[in-house]
Formats: sequence, structure tokens, C-alpha cells
Amino acid sequence: MQKSRLFQFIGLLIAFSLFLSSCSALSNLVTDKVVVTMVYGSEKEDWLVPLIEAFNQANHKVESGAVIEIKAIPMGSIESAREINAGTIQPTVWSPASSIYLPVANAEWRQNHADDLYAGTPNDLVLSPVVIAMWKPMAEALGWPEKALGWSDIGEMAFSEEGWTAYGYPEWGNFKFGHTHPEYSNSGICAVIASTYAGAGKQRDLTAADLANQQAIDFLAAVEKSVIHYGSSTGFFASRMFERGPSYLSAAVMYENLVVYQENERLTGNSNQMPVVAIYPKEGTFWSNHPYIVLNASWVTDEQREAAKLFEDYLLDKPQQLLAIEYGFRPADPSIPLTTPLDENHGVDPLQPQTVLEVPDADVIRGIEALWYEVKKPVDLVLVVDASGSMGGEKINAVRSSLVQFTDLLGDRDRLEILTFNYEIHELTPLTELGDKRADVQRRVSGIIEEGDTRLYDAVLKAYQDLNEFGDPDHIRAIVVLSDGQDTASGNALDAVLAAIGSHSESGDATKIFSIAYGTDANEDVLKNIAEITGGQEYFGEPDTIQEIYKAIATFF
Amino acid sequence: MKTPKINWILLTVFGIASLAVFVFSLVNPAFRGNAYAPLREGLLPPPDPIQITIYYGTEKRDWLEQMREDFLQTDPRVNGHPIEIELEGMGSREMVLSVLDGSIEPTVLSPASSLQISLFQDLSTQKFGQAMVNTADQQNCHPLVETPLVLVAWKERGQALWGLNPGGDLWKELWDAATDPQGWASYGHPDWGFFKFGHTSPLKSNSGFMTSILLAYEYHQKSANLSVADIQNPGFQSWFLQLESSITDFGDSTGSYMRDIIAYGPSKYDVVAVYESVAIEQAENAIGRYGELYIYYPPRTLMSDHPYCILDADWVDADQQTAARLFLDYLLSDPAQESAVMDFGFRSVDPDIALDQTGSPFLVLGANGIQIDSLPPEVEVPKGDVLDALLDFWARNVSD
Repeated sequence: MQKSRLFQFIGLLIAFSLFLSSCSALSNLVTDKVVVTMVYGSEKEDWLVPLIEAFNQANHKVESGAVIEIKAIPMGSIESAREINAGTIQPTVWSPASSIYLPVANAEWRQNHADDLYAGTPNDLVLSPVVIAMWKPMAEALGWPEKALGWSDIGEMAFSEEGWTAYGYPEWGNFKFGHTHPEYSNSGICAVIASTYAGAGKQRDLTAADLANQQAIDFLAAVEKSVIHYGSSTGFFASRMFERGPSYLSAAVMYENLVVYQENERLTGNSNQMPVVAIYPKEGTFWSNHPYIVLNASWVTDEQREAAKLFEDYLLDKPQQLLAIEYGFRPADPSIPLTTPLDENHGVDPLQPQTVLEVPDADVIRGIEALWYEVKKPVDLVLVVDASGSMGGEKINAVRSSLVQFTDLLGDRDRLEILTFNYEIHELTPLTELGDKRADVQRRVSGIIEEGDTRLYDAVLKAYQDLNEFGDPDHIRAIVVLSDGQDTASGNALDAVLAAIGSHSESGDATKIFSIAYGTDANEDVLKNIAEITGGQEYFGEPDTIQEIYKAIATFF
Repeated sequence: MKTPKINWILLTVFGIASLAVFVFSLVNPAFRGNAYAPLREGLLPPPDPIQITIYYGTEKRDWLEQMREDFLQTDPRVNGHPIEIELEGMGSREMVLSVLDGSIEPTVLSPASSLQISLFQDLSTQKFGQAMVNTADQQNCHPLVETPLVLVAWKERGQALWGLNPGGDLWKELWDAATDPQGWASYGHPDWGFFKFGHTSPLKSNSGFMTSILLAYEYHQKSANLSVADIQNPGFQSWFLQLESSITDFGDSTGSYMRDIIAYGPSKYDVVAVYESVAIEQAENAIGRYGELYIYYPPRTLMSDHPYCILDADWVDADQQTAARLFLDYLLSDPAQESAVMDFGFRSVDPDIALDQTGSPFLVLGANGIQIDSLPPEVEVPKGDVLDALLDFWARNVSD
């Protein structure tokens, strides 16, 4: 009797412990999640995205037991600074392409907040110097590698009316240069600051007074004159340059890792372009250092902060740092040597750069941005808008309001023509400067009425011919065409239109066409063809995304 | 055959005794080891660990992390509780200020220098009426390792400025180069741009603080008795500010700063004032990145001695103090001290551990300027009011 009680007692004890352990197993199944959003400069996407997937799959947990999920959104570094300050994006982690704009972002943050945007000095994730990527034969024509090249040589090329003829290569045409939009992208602001330094003949201590120096202003204006167009993403510039070759762009400001990537493609047979090399500007450059910033913002919880720190530790851990080098980055971990593919074979020199430029104060950077607006290359733009009957309702409403906002993004010196088309083509406004007619143009686009057929091809051809006839070759020339359907009424066939456009489109300073296939009935293939043949970009839009698309297109100008 | 009769009384007594041990081990982990292992591990929750948090100057990160791993492998316990050690790297001065403003509550502070602990002793007394550390109590506050403040250059650039054996004008020549508007062009290297000297922020990090003190001594050409009047001397202030305004980037912490120097290379830093230990630690990494480093000893220096001080604060209980003391004993043990010298480039606090043993980095890096014996003399550590005056001047006129 006593014995059986003892067994009962032991049995009860075991059952109780089983119950306890099954409870803890169950609690593991229904765990909470802590989501960390990260807005990052898109240049590190290829390295970062697979690491995020691996991290999420490993179910890392914070101390409370909640499982960490990282959600990452790529965005231009300067644009994300603006959006964080406006509160329109509220990430936990911000990892722009470099620290250069942090003082400006923080100064703006401090206007509305008691504390700084971030605490301490953020850690760098990976490094890559800002370089001028140039086709190797072109660099050699300029005397490289015996002669060190720099921002001043870019300026000299830009000042010269002769282009490559002066160097014995008339067949290369004009010197075609590119950098991204400094209001959106880190490499763009780096290029503009570096050009301003070169114009002022300085490497440090750039002041507000230097921005009034006529020589500096003229230098920046000359560099900008040779720019074929801007853009919001450094990656886009790189891929366009490497796809379309030296007739499109002679050189562009980007990061060393993008040169390594292209050379790797070429060496493995995936690209048949000529070799490209990284020029490390002799006057100095900036580093793209990809800081990892956990925002000191009210929307970041302690748990998110904890999770963000764990993810940072993971990215800085040796295996992940070692991977970075395969993508052409210099690891932030100094114990990892700079080995292949960071070598001459891949167009880069790991012993460069020899010197940097000093990052100016926030006020000076803002002054440079303002100066850039004054001297930037203006655009001659024709907006071609489908006003056929099928555009009725929500579609045309969204286009009207998007066009009003789009015109706000253009400068006073930009010249704008607007064509609408249905069974005929209407010129809402001719190709003249926007400054004098902005209000009138906005009134007119608000009153676009839809009816009738779709003369898409004729309208595109007219826009193209107008730009050829009235456009200024010293301006960026571009067409933005939006259509929601098939061509039903044109006198010209598609082939004829493509032949007319395509015959001049090889060159980077030729007219660029950006096309928007609007809604599901749009003829995507045709619109893609029209854009691609000019080196422009095609988009697919709906009424709820059209505003963003016009905004993205505006960054090219 | 008669089966032996079970002695039920004995069995009951044994059962009750076992149960008592089992239950007691639940209440008191010190007795946990006595409980029957399979039952214990299956049924008992693991004993709560004793957690200690150590804020340390980042220049000894790798050594400390390694030692923590080695120490924990010995399964150290306090009253049966295992020990957990959290290591948080932070600038030496920053950690002192953070304890004072209540933003961190560490068990142990281990800044780069006793200079910071002396300040902490004064400031915590001023603020709380009693000191949170007692520097006289060797059991609770003891230097771990030593290293002098030196100037580290990328070898090619150091040689272009100083050659291999600079004389007593080391600082003067550095000052001239750093303030020369032509920068490296004046030395025949226009491609190296402006001259880039650097040190950490004296407001946050000990090496920056030491550098500022050495510069003050240098200007006044003395080794002791630095006074508030010396800091307020307009000639010194102007000379000091010219050098400081040439620096583009003051680091928060010496270890991280030195890592940046290797990561970015000579494009961003030509010469920096840091500890000998971080130069030794990074010397091999430097070769993998941009080339060799060279170490220059200033004519007078200060030693960083990495005190490890257990806090006397209401958030530190007796078990945590014991755990922290166990780790301190481990850090002062022969294997840990040997590793500090051989693997991490520190000088041991134990005079019996030689620097010139086979394979020692001090021998290997002889060609990179490392000196084993002939260290420059140390300057006297200035009094608290002098240190305050110097920091205050820097905060008002330079601050990053």
C-alpha cells in the first residue's frame, strides 16, 4: 500500500514535469514578433538582402523571447534623410550610403526635437570609396595611369568644346559625364561637393565665401554642363553605363564596388563591354561608409533597439564581413585583408585613395545644394499624355494631380512642352521656360479632358521632332510619355517611329524617353521598346502609384 | 528461502532525506550539486546566473572577450550560481559620465587609465557624498595591464615627416605639418593631400585626454607641475587650437578609432596619437589593408594602466561583487597576463612576465619602431583642477 503511494507520488511528479515542459514548448510556438524596419542605401542591396533572409530564417530572439524580423527598404540616402525628418517614413534603423549628410539630417532633426537623431558615432557596415568610373581606353587617352586624374580633369574636359577630339579621338564625340541627383542620392551630393572643392582649389575648409567665388561657380556649371542626366540611384547609373557602353557615358561618379561588380561580369563573360577602371580623384574623395544608425526617435521601442543591435552584431560578424568583399566592398572589419576581387584585374586599386576631402559643415553643404540648383543643367522636356476615352474616371483624375505636382519639381529655367493625344494631338503649352508660365501650365493640366482614340505613335514622333527642332543641345532633352492602351489611330507605324528615334539614340546626350504603361490595358511591350531604345526607363503605373512614378522620373532632371 | 524484509522505516527516512535535499536544492542553488543529477536536470529550473556588467575601454576588447570565454569555461560559480559577464565597450571618460548621470549601472568600470578613476572618485563623492570606487582597495580596484601613449603613422608617411629616428622635436614637426596650408605638398607629396593628424575626443576617451595633457606639457617644456595658469596661457591656447582645428575626426573610443584607421587607411589618417597596445594589435591587419605602421615614442609620455574597479553602488550586490572579484583574479593570473603580452600587445602588470620572449610582438615589431626597454619618462599626472580646466577649454573651443 505504502509502496504504491510512493509510485503514485513519483508518477505525479513526472506527469507534472511533463506538463511544465510541454507548456514551455507551446509558449515557444506562439511567440511574439519584433519587427525592425531598416531603410538603406540601395548600393549594398546585393550583400544585404540575402543576409536579411538568413537572419530572419534563423529566428533570432530578443530577451523577452520575441522573434526578430528585419524588413528592409532601399531608398536614396538624401531622400531618406528628408523623409525621416518629415516623419513620412519611420524606420528603426537607417543606413544611408555615407555619413556625409548626417550633420545636415541631424541639424534638421534638431529643429523639432530636443535630442539628436542618433547617439554616439554609428558603426560602419562596409566601405567603398567614391570614384569616377571611366572606360579604360578613355582614361588612358587622358594619360592615366601614369598621370593621376581628378575632378579638375573632369572640369577641363567639360570646359572644352572639343570633347574627345582634343585627345585624338573624334569618334568618341562629346565628353559625357554622369552623377546622380544630389537631392536624392549620396554619390550625387559627393560629386557636387567635390566639384565645388575643385573649383575653389581647396581640399579642406570649404566655406560659405567659397560658394560665392565666381571661379568655383563657373567650374561647377561646366561640370554640370557635361552631365547627360541625373537620377535617384547610383546603381541605376552604373547599370545604364555598363549596359549601353561608352557612347552613352564616358564617365560617371559611383562607388568602387560597382566597378568591381562590372569587371567581374566582364571577366566571367556576362558583359562584352570594354574594361572600366576606377579613377581615385587626385585632389581627394569621400568614403561611402554605410553607417548603421538606430534612430533616436519616439517611434523606436526598447525592444526594437535591442533587436536592431543584435542584427548589427550579425552584420559585423566575420562571416558576413568576409562576404562583403565578394561584392566589391572593403569590409569594415580591419582584420580582413583587401584581396581579390579588389585588384587591378577588376579595375580598382586597393591602395587608393591617397587622400580625402574634408566633409564641410551642414550650412556649407546646404549652400552647395542651393548653388547646384542655380547652375545645374536645365531640361527641355515634352510631356506626352494620353487623353483618349479609356482614361476616364479615376485614371485621368490621378494623372491631373500628379502632373501638377510634377511641374512643381521642375526648375524655373527648365523648358516644358505638353502634348495630349486622342484622335488628334493638342499642344497644351509650347517648349518654353517654365518659370514664366508655371501657374498657367498647372491650370491647363488640371483641365485635361479625355475622349476618343489613341494616336500614341504620332504623338511620340511629334514630341521627338519638336525637341530636335526647338530643344537646346546644351540641355537635358527628354520625353515622358504616358498611355493606357493600344495605338488605334496613328498615321505612322511603330517601326517607322522607332527607326526615327533609334537612329540618334546611341549617344548619352541624345533625347531620352521615359514611358509609363498606365493600367492593365496599356501596351507594355511597345512602351518598353520606345524607352529602351533611347536609354531611358519604362514604368508600369496605376492611379494609386502614378504620383510616385512622376516623382521618380523628376529625379533624372 | 526467505526474502529479506524491507525496512520500511529506513526507506521512509531515506526518502524524506532525499526529498529534503531535493527541495532544499530548489531553494538554494549552493546545494544543487548534491541532488541526484538526472532528476535535478530534468526537473529543476537552472539556477539563476549572477550577471555582472563590465564597461571597458574598447582598446582591450579582444583580450577581454577572449579572457571571458576562457574564464567561463572553468564554470566559475558564486554560491552555486553560474556567472554571466556582459562586456560593453565605451570611451573611458564617457563611461564615467554615464554612471554619474544614471544612464548606465555597471558592476565594474574598466577605463583605459586610473586618471579616469581618480576623476570618478572625486565626482562621485561630490555627487553622492561617497566615492563609488576606492582606489586604495587593491582587491576591488586593480590595474590589469599597461601601455604607453605613442604616435602611430603609416610607415611611408611617418618616414616622410620624421624619418626613422626623430629627435625631441617630434611634436613640433607634427604641429608644423598639420598646420601647413600646403599640407603634404610641402614635403614633396602633393598626392597625399592635407596632413591628417588625429586623436580621440578628450571629453569621451582617455587617449585623447592624455594627448591633450602631453601637448600642454610639451608647449611649456616641462614634465611636472602643470598648472591652471599654464592651461589659461594665451600662447598655449592658440598653439593648441591651431593643431586641434586641423583634426577632422575625433573618435569616441581609442579601440574603435584605431580600427577605423586601419579600415580607411592613410587616405583619412596619416598620424594618430593612440596606445602602443592598439598599434601592436592592429599592426598585422594594417599590412593586409594598406601597408606597415610605424610607432614613434614622444619625448614624454603617460601610461594607460586599465584599472578594473568594482563599484560600491546600490545596484551591485554581494554576489555580483564576488563574481567580479573572481574574474579580476582570473585576469591577473599568469595565463591571462601572458596572453595580454603575447597576443594583444599589452605590457603586463606582473614584472615577471617578459616582453622579449620568443614570438613576442614586442620583438617582432622592433622593425616598426617598438621599444621594449627605453620608454620615455612619464609626466606627472596633473591635479584635478588642471584637468578640469583643460577639458573645459577643449569643450568650449574645439568640441566635436
